[in-house]
Amino acid sequence: MTEEQKEEFIGVTFVSDMPYDWAMGPYSGRLFEEMRDNKKLWGIRCPGCKRLLFPPEAMCGYCFTEVNDDWVEMKDTGTLVQFTKAGMPVFDNRTGMLKGAERPLSNVQLDDGPYIMHWLEETDIDKLKLGMRVQAVWREHGRGRGYEDIMYFRIIEESSND
Amino acid sequence: MTNKTAEPVVFSGHLKIPYKFEAGMTGTRFLKELRDNKRIMGLKCSKCNRVYVPPRSTCKECFSLIDEWVEVSNEGKLLTYTVLRTRRDAEDVILGRHLPVAYGIIKLDGADTGFVHMLGEVDFDKLRVGMKVKAVFEEERTGNILDINYFKPVS
Amino acid sequence: MANRVAITGIGLTHQAARRPDVNDAEMINEAVRMALADAQLEIKDIDAVLTNNMDGFDGTHLSDSILVDGSGAYMKSGMKFNTGGTVGSTGAISAFNMVASGIFDVVLTIGHQKQERGNTMGTLCGAAPGELRELVQGAIGAFAQAAVQYMKNTGAKLEHAGMVRLKSDRNACRNPYAHLRLGLKSIEDVDQSPMLIWPLRLLDFCPQSCGACAMIVASEKAAKRITKKPVWVADHETVHEMQSEVVFGGDEEKSQQIAAKRLYKRNGITDPAKDIDCFELYEPSSWEEMYLYEHFFLAEHNKGWKMIEKGVTELEGDIPVNPSGGVLATNAIGATAMVRIAEAALQIRGDAGEHQATKDVKTALASGLGGTNWTTLVLLKRSL
Repeated sequence: MTEEQKEEFIGVTFVSDMPYDWAMGPYSGRLFEEMRDNKKLWGIRCPGCKRLLFPPEAMCGYCFTEVNDDWVEMKDTGTLVQFTKAGMPVFDNRTGMLKGAERPLSNVQLDDGPYIMHWLEETDIDKLKLGMRVQAVWREHGRGRGYEDIMYFRIIEESSND
Repeated sequence: MTNKTAEPVVFSGHLKIPYKFEAGMTGTRFLKELRDNKRIMGLKCSKCNRVYVPPRSTCKECFSLIDEWVEVSNEGKLLTYTVLRTRRDAEDVILGRHLPVAYGIIKLDGADTGFVHMLGEVDFDKLRVGMKVKAVFEEERTGNILDINYFKPVS
Repeated sequence: MANRVAITGIGLTHQAARRPDVNDAEMINEAVRMALADAQLEIKDIDAVLTNNMDGFDGTHLSDSILVDGSGAYMKSGMKFNTGGTVGSTGAISAFNMVASGIFDVVLTIGHQKQERGNTMGTLCGAAPGELRELVQGAIGAFAQAAVQYMKNTGAKLEHAGMVRLKSDRNACRNPYAHLRLGLKSIEDVDQSPMLIWPLRLLDFCPQSCGACAMIVASEKAAKRITKKPVWVADHETVHEMQSEVVFGGDEEKSQQIAAKRLYKRNGITDPAKDIDCFELYEPSSWEEMYLYEHFFLAEHNKGWKMIEKGVTELEGDIPVNPSGGVLATNAIGATAMVRIAEAALQIRGDAGEHQATKDVKTALASGLGGTNWTTLVLLKRSL
């Protein structure tokens, strides 16, 4: 078919911009303040099932108990349990456009138990192995934007079981 | 460690997502007629004789598939209207027009459905339900519902 | 269920990457008309209409309001669901519940999506809380991470994912309603597709499709009047997980195992690989299909990949999984989980045509997957 013969269909394109103000609540709000001011991670212990909740919240979703003030200071070290790196441009929700994926995305199991999803410093995936020990590298001046106050996780030693 | 934040912590951001909406075969024919021929076309249900403008390919009443195209008039009756004077985000432009703007629902002669569009060339205080209005087309048309610039009163 | 419920009509559109020739209402209308014709009913015979999609992907809000002319819901009872990847099955299960309640006799339920429209990765950022949106790389990022973990834990190799993809394509090539019908010849064809998110290549992950599925669900009395081949809903189950950090994969018990245990126990299923004849599973990635073999107890823990190696899940095999080609071939998300149920029902009716499983299918299981690893299961039978 030539260009002229091709059936024309009309459409419209637009970018939907949805600004949001996300209230963190008193518990994650305290975590974000501590991350900003003291470069520290805090979870809260559920009085019902004793799970360490991170990020902390007013209630435990597992056993549906209201939490009290049993705050637990957590280490910022952990073990690499999942990682991946995009080979294609990924979507940037702040601009509505695609951007190159600079760093591998990972799941880290923190030494106190909970998981945190974050970037890895090492960009060569051939050098990454599950089970590696990693530690948070904090921004020098926290901006109060929670996880963004950590730049990425850095490998601190090779895994022993591989 | 206390449970009290200095002040409520709010994380602000933007979620921007690009979209493309396709008008489909029926919608495309309607928009092309506006663009190429300055004609307002509807679809007529051959079973219950209802004329849909903008066109719908299924009759909502009898669920028949509709494919009988009919031209309706550029003129119609204003069923209802309102005037938009301010916007929450303090922008004073909507669809390229400065506020205040008036818009309404128009029943075109020959159609059985209401047609939403802007109203122009009129003193807003003189708008009346039931008044006769007529489509004013754009000079440069792109295959968009705004190829009709607005509807103006017929004196 | 208190009252018996049957699937009595099925409609599927052909699925494609783009459908610029129809708007949403017109697209679902194709499936609705096919389901009505299948059941030999008219729209006036329908008591309630349900529509189901992911609004964010379609860029719509209150999508049911713009669909009425196509869905046939004008002045009828009904609801709209928006429960993520599971939504097609939520819509089907809700129709089952409505009929089982005794209030409705015949319910039409429709799953649909036009994925040409938006950006799934962008929309899924919106499924995370505001402060985590920067760290979301869509469903594919989560499934890629799960794949890496599966290889390490089980000893499965990239070639096993390739075998799953080839099976999907062989089956899809026999299914006229499938989107990707590629005619893949070898695992090299999969390996040569572009890398999306390591280790997932383009062909290791589900496509983005436009399409719709409609089903007509009826009470026992109505079903016997409507069709000679009712497919009975034996049971269903839905399990929600929390939005934890390890969404897919991992060693902990997931929603899949919990859903399967509950459903199997209630229905006296002790060996699902023998007690159920055919499976239509929601596998967003080729790796996830191997996970699902294990999660639904068709294979031992960490041994799912051996099933694909042995070929038992082929259309001709003892445990046919996704004879339709599955989600790897066809994925209009709001329709996808309902297509699993519809395809399972077609297998039981013996109406799947070229992709009918070789063994006689009397019992079939359909699964849905969505949210942060939510699971739905629907167990269908030829006779109760």
